[in-house]
Amino acid sequence: MIVVGVMVAGACGAVLRYSVDHVVQRRAGSEFPLGTLVINVSGSLVLGFLTGSALHHGVSATWLTVAGTGLIGSYTTFSTLMFDSVRLAEADHSALSVLNVVVSMVVGLGAAALGLALGSAI
Amino acid sequence: MSPTGPAHGPPASEPLLRVVAIALGGALGTLARYGTDRALVPRPSGVPWATFTVNVAGSLLLGLIVTLVVERWPPTRFVRPFAAIGFCGGFTTFSTLAVETAQRAQHGRVGLAAGYVAASLVAGVVAAFVGMALARGRLFPLPGQRRFVPDPDDLGGLDPHAAEPGRGGETPS
Repeated sequence: MIVVGVMVAGACGAVLRYSVDHVVQRRAGSEFPLGTLVINVSGSLVLGFLTGSALHHGVSATWLTVAGTGLIGSYTTFSTLMFDSVRLAEADHSALSVLNVVVSMVVGLGAAALGLALGSAI
Repeated sequence: MSPTGPAHGPPASEPLLRVVAIALGGALGTLARYGTDRALVPRPSGVPWATFTVNVAGSLLLGLIVTLVVERWPPTRFVRPFAAIGFCGGFTTFSTLAVETAQRAQHGRVGLAAGYVAASLVAGVVAAFVGMALARGRLFPLPGQRRFVPDPDDLGGLDPHAAEPGRGGETPS
């Protein structure tokens, strides 16, 4: 049963990612993949929060698996970050390529740590 | 946008079908990631091999699929939404990588956390690059790709593949 929940949540996460990317990228309108950055940072914050509250406030493992592994895991993406970085480097945007990876990692890790702290505290 | 795109615009149902393709691919990609996670259950302070594996494998697959769709194959409508945005996007995950790294750093395993991030990034970039190179036939020719290589002895007009629709061959008008 949990497998069905994970799959449905994964489907929703993928569609949510597509929608957010569409909205952000249309407004940004540049070479820099801002949509993926917004998705990965916001998802890391939420997954940190869910994980922190599950560890400290006894949220059920099923709920964490469906919402965390299913929804947020599918919402955020690593493959697009890697693909965009190679694509930017190939298009002679090497500085943007490095910036994309470094900013994603630094801000993403900060968001995850903040989420963990908030989830543990609340 | 694409010169080979449909001349009269897509039918009205296409955006919805595209979203359905993304949802189906996302469900399958998430299932594959969940299965990998079950098979390689990570210890709370050990190396998260499950996430590392899906992220590197998914980066290779995405580089391969997107390059095939954009550069090699005739125009397709649902391969990219289903396989790239849906499956590869759902299969790989950034948030789990970030939370796993933050947790290990907080448990004092800073070296492991730094190594995990560095290894994921290096292996992920190399995997995406290898996927793209594979799709372009740079590592070894993919099945069916040989006929795209121009024959230096071909004077034109006699190649049985030259007039295939969608292959760029000259057709009499």
